Amino acid sequence: MSRNMKPSPLLWGATALGAAGVLATYATAGHERFWANWVLWFVLMLTLGLGALFIVALEHLVNAKWSVPVRRIPERIATLLLPAIPIGLIALCALPVLYPGTRPEAAQHPILAGKAFWLSVPFFSVRTLIALGLSTLGLAVLVGGSLKQDASKDPGFNLRARKFAPAFMAIFAIVITLIAFDWISGLTPEWYSDIFGVYIFAGAFLSGLAATALALLYLQDQGRLEGVRGDHLFNLGGFLFAFTVFWSYIGFAQYMLMWYANMPDEVIYYKVRLAGSWRAITMSLAFLHFILPFFALVTRDSKKDPKRLRLVACLMLFAHVLDMYWLIFPALGGAPRFSWPELSFALFFLGGILLWLRGAMQKGEDMPIGDPFLREGLEFRL
Amino acid sequence: MPETSYAVLGLFNTPDALMQAIPKVRASKLGTVEAYTPYPIHGIDEALGLRRSPLGGMVLVMGVLGAITAFGFEYWISAIDYPIITGGKAASSWEAFIPIMFEVTVLFATFTAGLGMLLLLNKLPFFGHPVLSSKSITGITRDRYALALEAENDAFDSAAAARALQEAGAVEVEILPAPDRSPFLTSDYIMRTLGGIFAACLVSGLAMYFATKWFPLLPPMKYIQDQPRLNAQKASTFFKDGHGMQPPVPGTVARGYLPTATGTQEQAASLLNPLPRTKAVFAMGHKVYVNRCEVCHGALANGLGSLTAAYGGKPANLQSQQFRDYPDGKLYWAIVNGKNAMPSHAPYLTEQERWAVVHYVRALQRAQNAKDEDLKVVAP
Ligand code: HEC
Repeated sequence: MSRNMKPSPLLWGATALGAAGVLATYATAGHERFWANWVLWFVLMLTLGLGALFIVALEHLVNAKWSVPVRRIPERIATLLLPAIPIGLIALCALPVLYPGTRPEAAQHPILAGKAFWLSVPFFSVRTLIALGLSTLGLAVLVGGSLKQDASKDPGFNLRARKFAPAFMAIFAIVITLIAFDWISGLTPEWYSDIFGVYIFAGAFLSGLAATALALLYLQDQGRLEGVRGDHLFNLGGFLFAFTVFWSYIGFAQYMLMWYANMPDEVIYYKVRLAGSWRAITMSLAFLHFILPFFALVTRDSKKDPKRLRLVACLMLFAHVLDMYWLIFPALGGAPRFSWPELSFALFFLGGILLWLRGAMQKGEDMPIGDPFLREGLEFRL
Repeated sequence: MPETSYAVLGLFNTPDALMQAIPKVRASKLGTVEAYTPYPIHGIDEALGLRRSPLGGMVLVMGVLGAITAFGFEYWISAIDYPIITGGKAASSWEAFIPIMFEVTVLFATFTAGLGMLLLLNKLPFFGHPVLSSKSITGITRDRYALALEAENDAFDSAAAARALQEAGAVEVEILPAPDRSPFLTSDYIMRTLGGIFAACLVSGLAMYFATKWFPLLPPMKYIQDQPRLNAQKASTFFKDGHGMQPPVPGTVARGYLPTATGTQEQAASLLNPLPRTKAVFAMGHKVYVNRCEVCHGALANGLGSLTAAYGGKPANLQSQQFRDYPDGKLYWAIVNGKNAMPSHAPYLTEQERWAVVHYVRALQRAQNAKDEDLKVVAP
């Protein structure tokens, strides 16, 4: 199997340039802006990794056979949870800067005072550590076990993974809710929405699916992943299609209830996001995250058309970044900010993520060759 | 004339034999070729040359139609036919329409999928597909693979079809008679169906009733009669002051009744009447004047209303030169703020009605000072 092991100077260069921009941001553009960007990319890495891990766990949970040949891809993407740990530890420095609940004034605030313990820096950090630890545990059991199975060919792993998957679903629910509530809605602690965790889950799962589809098509372009056919693509495309609706359903449900009740402490969230240029971003989010991908994937053929799928997957990832930007950046106040600091962060983190994934794609097998259901998965037809 | 038959079935022992026979049987062009197998066989759709089902497109079109129908329906009800402001939302709030649009989209789409498949594409209704009552059905549901040549019209030649199937390698051939398509919606059938529905409702209703009566620990919903509320002739503890309803928060203004104050009368002089002089506006102004102003200012706006003599008040004579020269804004100001003995009309008249009555007062003034040219204007 020929593998492109050449180092990619372009990718390294872009990442290095981004790193320089990141440092310059810290020095000149203000700490708030620096940390907002940092939290944005930390959350993006986490949601991408967790979304991919969720795909893996889901396969074990429902004992799916069709996805066995493509499982190694979300497994590799899920390893992004490892570099997310140091990123997350550094992100803890953002707490006093960005998160109002951690400031001393919070004790005087009528709403925040009651949650002071929960929002305080120590407990916030502990929760983040727990979330990162739990997701690493899931990664070790599901992905680590699968990698070991390549050599051992031990079918016992499938049984163990199937038993672990339900527990992991509960863990996953807790982790993604903690991340969503702490890191994103913690920016506006007076505001809360019960469904917010589910909303973030929908975005995470979608981004995991989109990244999986994109990596799959990339590997196939290189002549790898032999035996993965349109039937497999179709299932991925179907998932993507279905979950664009799920995301919009949850997003709209949250909006509509707040709009109806019109409680000042709730609607302020949308008022900010419907004012000035934020309004345009809100509208384009609805368009790019739902309407466009929905109609792009509505026909049967489009779900297995590599070209179409590649476009929609790129679009989905972009829309996910936009979604997180839309959630996090209004916390800085004022109009949406986008210029060289945001670009450098994007360069640095995107470059880093791509380098990490490239490395992961070059190591080991492209398919879980030790999985006894691999053949059945390869024979899968619609 | 040969007896009319629905189809000829040819049985094969292996899926491979079946797949190999398909092109040969199709080439005979004796009728529609169909396959009946115990489990789905990959590639059989292509081999049979089945066209892509049009159901997906039908569902999409009907789904979109459902969304449009629901939107139109809701918009018409809540913005045009019977606009009621609820929860302070505008009558035509798209946000409130979305859930119902979603439901109706799903409803139209699923009904199209279900009924379209059964009635249009599967050509139901008939009771019992002929293949189900064939002798071969036990084999088809277990280990036999059947190919059928189905009649397309009366010219179907079952003997030739049987021969074609045998030549293609069928180990066994069976001729199926046409299905019974006699009408089934007989009165007896309808009565029995209705009776069945009635019995089902009765049984489930009674079961529900007794279940909630005997197992009150599990109420299926919170009963309305258990909700805290005001009962007639009973004291209420729901609100602190014991009242059943609360007055609105001080300063509350109903929709359309702003502004409630407009500075001084001199400042208001520059305000322009925003309403056009249309029939509808004059009709509105007329109604308001008769209801609200006439008692004091009189039907001709000359200050001689029915109340004037009774109370000795002196309402302004709006026909006097002073008020004929008044700018619209000052008339409007007097309506909103009131003046001396005249009370403010802000709480009773919407912004529209206030300006409409200003137009109407102008009309009354002109009517009392009509010139000859005015007649020409009116003449058709
Ligand atoms: C309760 C009796 C009463 C009613 C009802 C009433 N008015 Fe008057 N109106 C008065 C009196 C009295 C005055 C004279 C106030 C003054 O200048 O002392 C007056 C004055 C006015 C003036 C002159 C204000 C000025 O600047 O001097 C206008 C214009 C006017 N009314 C219009 C209306 C209109 C239009 C309505 C119906 C919406 C209305 N009024 C209803 C009693 C009434």
